[in-house]
Amino acid sequence: MTASAIELRNLNKSFGLAKIIQDVNLEIKRGERHAIIGPNGAGKSTLFNLITGKYTPTTGQVFLHGQDVSGKKPFEINRMGLSRSFQITNIFHKMTVFENVRCGLLWSMGYKYSFWTMVNKQRELTRRTDEILEQINLANRRNMLAGALAYAEQRALEIGITIAGGADIIMLDEPCAGMSRSETELIVDLIRKVTEDKTLVVVEHDMGVIFDLADRISVLVYGQIIETDTPERVRASRAVQEAYLGTTLEEEAS
Amino acid sequence: MSTPSTNPLTAGTSRLIPLNHALPWIIAAVALVLLPVIFDSRSALTIMNQMAITIVFALAYNMLLGQGGMLSFGHAVYMGLGGFFSMHVMNWMSVDPWLPLPVLPIFGGLFGLLFAFLIGWFSTRRAGTTFAMISLGVGQLVASLSIIIVIFFGGEEGISGNRTEMLPFFGLDFGQQIEVYYLTAVWLLIAALGMFLYSRTPMGRLANAVRDNEERAEFLGYSQRNVRWISFCASGFFAGIAGALFAINFEILTEENLNLATSGTILLVTFLGGVGFFIGPIIGAIVFTLLQTVLSLHTDIWALYVGILFVATVMFFPFGLTGLLALHVLPWKLGKIGYLAKPYAKMIVPALALVLSAAAVLEILFHVRHAGRGENEMTIYWTTFDSHSPLPLILGIVVAVVSAYALAKLAPGLKAAWDEATTMREAGQ
Repeated sequence: MTASAIELRNLNKSFGLAKIIQDVNLEIKRGERHAIIGPNGAGKSTLFNLITGKYTPTTGQVFLHGQDVSGKKPFEINRMGLSRSFQITNIFHKMTVFENVRCGLLWSMGYKYSFWTMVNKQRELTRRTDEILEQINLANRRNMLAGALAYAEQRALEIGITIAGGADIIMLDEPCAGMSRSETELIVDLIRKVTEDKTLVVVEHDMGVIFDLADRISVLVYGQIIETDTPERVRASRAVQEAYLGTTLEEEAS
Repeated sequence: MSTPSTNPLTAGTSRLIPLNHALPWIIAAVALVLLPVIFDSRSALTIMNQMAITIVFALAYNMLLGQGGMLSFGHAVYMGLGGFFSMHVMNWMSVDPWLPLPVLPIFGGLFGLLFAFLIGWFSTRRAGTTFAMISLGVGQLVASLSIIIVIFFGGEEGISGNRTEMLPFFGLDFGQQIEVYYLTAVWLLIAALGMFLYSRTPMGRLANAVRDNEERAEFLGYSQRNVRWISFCASGFFAGIAGALFAINFEILTEENLNLATSGTILLVTFLGGVGFFIGPIIGAIVFTLLQTVLSLHTDIWALYVGILFVATVMFFPFGLTGLLALHVLPWKLGKIGYLAKPYAKMIVPALALVLSAAAVLEILFHVRHAGRGENEMTIYWTTFDSHSPLPLILGIVVAVVSAYALAKLAPGLKAAWDEATTMREAGQ
């Protein structure tokens, strides 16, 4: 039996008296594209940060490929094959686009903390960096400072850095936040392309974005998962419709 | 022992790097060979040696500040400890000489590295203010220890030695200052090249990454703390080399070499030159050493001028003197550098007048306050006058105000020329 890519068992997180995440149980299979949606303040980002190691669970456990990673540091979790992006663009602003992506490749290509190899001389490293730049359509921005890119391009770069290391679990935190409709479509296409054969977890506020992308959707309301099912069934669910902002998901999705 | 140290040099010039990358290094090497031929006085050699030591130290410091984004208020500790240890090695060697002087910087470096490793273990856990405060605390701690642990630091008089008593190196005993100069120059090149190459390794790039965004680096598989720690160790190593060069040159180390004042100075030097550029600390060290040595021959309040220069740099050119030079790269590339010549030429006279008259006012005030009773006569700019009479002071103030006013009037012209020189649109036409 192969273990699930991600498994959450009775996960709880409190900040002081505030219980942000309450008894969350969730299993995400290998190769699944899973979306977590929910209204503002539902705890989506907290859940995300618990899985990626930014926060330590108050109680409960997080498993990656069957291994307990609760309390592990972000870099340790990353080395186990999980890579994440950020809701607020989180790139290396003062470095070039090329260098940004290259940073995402260094660990996975075994450079570790090397201070004896000349980084510009590594042909394979350069080749793979350029390959990713092609994939995310930023090859023509290669030598620009990342901070000088347009917003949509920075979002694409964010995804490029995230996938560069070849992690088999990709977690994206609101990848389409603040984008126009057409930009959103481009990014969703990009996500579909670069996460082929990988486990994908997307957190989104706007259900329309991930409706076509996700195999299953979990709905998080007040720190609890009230429904996990296929997009069609989630959309039809009465409980979800009642809980989710009082608006119907049909309206959200349209 | 001395062969591996020459390797990076030959590797850098022939195989590793194409010629256009090697060219600045070749020019630097040639300049280092020729400098003592042009400036051959004893004092010039001393100044150049001091410059070289400050350059190595400032480059090491910039590995933290510029490359790693770590603001340290106590980096003199690692240079000082490297220097003290080198001094001890020098003294042991005078009893039983089995090593030549040129290998001494390796010991200084390793000792600096050892303490950077130990102190970095806890100081690099957090960046930002926490790191800065710990560096300040450790700086104060070690400076205080230097008076307590007399056996290592020699108490208030420090420890001294004699560099000529080590094993002769191809017949050289380094009694001549010119020999010490070349020894220092070679180590300057090795250290600078080492630090430059380091900045181009994965570690060097990661130091930048953690500086820009430590959280992101952490999610790419890198422990931000380890990246900072390794950068800190590398910086401590090169600072230790600078300390050993100091020991070789001055043959004495005291508490002054590791106290907070010295730590503050290197921050100032690095910032003055520009933290964002590899060459920044080099320019900073050269300018600062010149100010320190040449200006101090002419005036007692040289530190005030350096302070004013520093404040002005921080306020108006946050990227340092190198940043100021780098601003001109774009007009140069656009072929429009000539646009700036005229406004610069117009401004140079009032600018000089402002600097000289303001300095004169400060000097007169200083003379009135500090000269002995009855010593009313003072000489500046080859003119002798009575410092207590109001006329020179008023004259100085008037010239300063008028030239400042002229500069303010000319500023819009410079700005217009600048805008024109940096727009690409017209260049295409």
